[in-house]
Amino acid sequence: MNNYQRIVFPLFVVVMAVLPTLLNPRWQAVAITFLIFSVVALSQDIVLGKAGMFNMGQALFFGMGAYITAILNYKFGWPILATIPLAILLPALFGIILAGPIVHLRGDYLLVVTIGFNIVFVQVLQNNLGGVTGGPNGIFGLDSLSLFGAKLTSQLAVYYFAFAVLLLTLWVMRNLEKSKAGRALHYLREDQLAAESIGINTRIYKVFAFGLGAGISGLAVTVYATQYAAVSPEAFEFIVSVLFFSIVLVGGSSIPGVMLGVFVMFVVPEIFREFATWRYFVFGFAMILAMILRPRGIWPATFGKIPKYLIKGGSHGA
Amino acid sequence: MDIFLQQLANGLTIGSMFALVALGYTMVYGVMKLINFAHGDMVAASAFVGLTVYTQVMGQATSLAAVVVIFLLTAAIMACVGIVLERVAYRPLREAPRLSAVVSALGASLVIQNGIMLIWGPRMKIFPELVPQVYWDLGGVVISLIQVLILGLSLVLMVGLYLFVEKTRMGAAVRASSIDQDAARLMGINVNSIIALIFIIGSSLGAIGGLFIGLYYRGITFNMGWQYGLYAFIAAILGGIGNIPGAMLGGMLLGLFNAFIAGYVSSTWADAFTFILLIVILIVRPTGLLGERVAEKV
Amino acid sequence: MARNELILKNVTKRFGGLTAVDDLSFKVEDGQIYGIIGPNGAGKTTVFNCITGIYKSEEGSVNWRGEEIRGMTPYQIVDRGIVRTFQTIRLFGQMSVAENIMSGRHIKSAQKWWHGIVPTPGSLRDEKENWLKVQEQLEFFNLGEFAATPTNSLPYGIQRRVEMARAMAVEPTLLILDEPAAGLNDKETLGLVETIYKIREKGVTVLLIEHDMDMVMEITDYLTVINFGKKIAEGTPAEVQANPAVIEAYLGSEDEDDE
Repeated sequence: MNNYQRIVFPLFVVVMAVLPTLLNPRWQAVAITFLIFSVVALSQDIVLGKAGMFNMGQALFFGMGAYITAILNYKFGWPILATIPLAILLPALFGIILAGPIVHLRGDYLLVVTIGFNIVFVQVLQNNLGGVTGGPNGIFGLDSLSLFGAKLTSQLAVYYFAFAVLLLTLWVMRNLEKSKAGRALHYLREDQLAAESIGINTRIYKVFAFGLGAGISGLAVTVYATQYAAVSPEAFEFIVSVLFFSIVLVGGSSIPGVMLGVFVMFVVPEIFREFATWRYFVFGFAMILAMILRPRGIWPATFGKIPKYLIKGGSHGA
Repeated sequence: MDIFLQQLANGLTIGSMFALVALGYTMVYGVMKLINFAHGDMVAASAFVGLTVYTQVMGQATSLAAVVVIFLLTAAIMACVGIVLERVAYRPLREAPRLSAVVSALGASLVIQNGIMLIWGPRMKIFPELVPQVYWDLGGVVISLIQVLILGLSLVLMVGLYLFVEKTRMGAAVRASSIDQDAARLMGINVNSIIALIFIIGSSLGAIGGLFIGLYYRGITFNMGWQYGLYAFIAAILGGIGNIPGAMLGGMLLGLFNAFIAGYVSSTWADAFTFILLIVILIVRPTGLLGERVAEKV
Repeated sequence: MARNELILKNVTKRFGGLTAVDDLSFKVEDGQIYGIIGPNGAGKTTVFNCITGIYKSEEGSVNWRGEEIRGMTPYQIVDRGIVRTFQTIRLFGQMSVAENIMSGRHIKSAQKWWHGIVPTPGSLRDEKENWLKVQEQLEFFNLGEFAATPTNSLPYGIQRRVEMARAMAVEPTLLILDEPAAGLNDKETLGLVETIYKIREKGVTVLLIEHDMDMVMEITDYLTVINFGKKIAEGTPAEVQANPAVIEAYLGSEDEDDE
């Protein structure tokens, strides 16, 4: 943990900061995708990894963020950056409203209901409800980033925007770990009845996890909409939720693990493009193998994040 | 009224396909407490296997005997695949955390789905016309021979399964294993062979379901497993997952619901309505129609 | 100000056709160590579940400090100063001892949900204060050396202590212990007795279920004996030991397994 905080993390920040200057445009685009999907996967980790709720509908929430940005920009002419607050708040609010009546459902039932939400959402988009979603083709022709009137059209600008969003997310995740709310999520995942019996209103915290996860993923896809200048329903099909679900569990619900999962799922296929058709076939086997060899994920979450002054001797320490 | 009767006939047909596939989900869930996400893809695979058996083994024969052989051979092949699936993807994870097995099941689903794509290609295939196109017009309601066949054969299989589970010693062992695996093991039941058995039964019923899907819809694609699998899975949950008569009831109800939505509202909203129905039922009665409430022991 | 009294009146809890708790009444007074004993399957744990809000009894009243708590949720009841442990230890197994005890501080902490996203100087101070309270419990229960150890890797006896430390971190006024000596060896049981006395000295009322008769007779001030969900006797340990109904109930079942 200390090594991670002192060496690995600063190193990661430095590498990621200079990386885009070394890449050609194609790989810059891949790197942006990596950053965005890392944020989405981390948002899924809050719900699935930390709170242990089987959410298989995360694509609903980030799809919603993307569409809010797209609609506000394309139909109402808002600058992209100005859409961010709503792209965070509306999915968060929606997450809270949807989660409210369902969080008491047990594991697999919750999973099915979240799949259901995702499928209903995509069908709403495809049927162009209210005439604002653009139907099966989606919305294209969004503006590029602009700040104080200056257009930031370059891919580099999008990259640093995405990078800033990732750093912000990592900061929030760290705050969460060191707070009452974050611990409450862990307690309810480990043993819900024990958590209730020690005074935790588990329902509130489950809804909180859904809201926070939805808000963060909404932020992530503002960048996504900017990069592609378009949104369309098939990017938010529930199969996409399945991918993020798997990434978190195969990675192991730790920040390095989740980002490793994103790397394997979205960057590695770009390296082996000639094997594109084999991609999911190989992933499927990799998922089975990973779970057999490491049932708690490749890089499992570590616990015991307690203040140093509590640790004595250390012979029994984790 | 015509629309009503027509959609009733259509609903019962698709409902019986859902029910056949749902049985595979519900039996596996009953004993292993695992959503076998690969089951839908197994169903899709069986349509393709059936196609290959028809062209390569049977020399495109469509006599009654040939059709029977195609069905039996496909079911047998899929039963073997089911056993391999359980051995490779599920048995090593029996003691692992629940979510690990779920991920493994998703992995198996991707392997099978993309395996179909690699073998048979990504484009839609047309399933052969194994059953003659015979239609009866019953005063405005058109019923085809295929529909009668699907409904009749499904009912026979379901009644057979029900009798097997309720009336035989082996069936009792299956029921015992789904109530309490450990207790069943202590009573001398070989739970490993029970699990193998339910994969054989589930996969072969799913295979018949897959062939029906091919016969009824004609167009088959490598990724159709998710679509049909999801519907069948919802059927299993509607009936109360783990409950065999529940899966049959859930399948039929879901088929009817879908047909009426398509007939009276719009087929472009069928998925949305189906899931809204499911969500409402799970919120109101989380254990499904025939499922029992289980109290947690403290 | 209301006294710390727990009064159960005519509490009945049924599961389907089975009446697990049948018209049970008793009263726990401020500062007592109160015992509930009874043969296996007598419904003792069910009584605790009805008090702590895990079950809601069909009939009767559960009154704590003059307030009706029947029908409240477990966390609302904890908020009123009643905390319990479980017969089958329920710790947060993958988490460290210190984090487990910290869960008891949840309800005392002043942090709001949004401090989990953006901390403030106030929330950081609150965080620190609560960890110091955890340290107090680590010392009180002599668990300091295990602070960072995940609880599922600890021996049973220590897990029992962690569970009590977690409950005490809430600073309860009524502590409910469900078979605290189960699975402990003689030496550990002696330590437990001492701990319970020390907890009482802090002004905490203790209500416990226990199978270890020697221990119950030694530490409790007052006892209720139940069988088949009904009260068959009550009184001081000496009175109860002399009661023929109790002797009969216990001679019938020598079996020491739990319910």
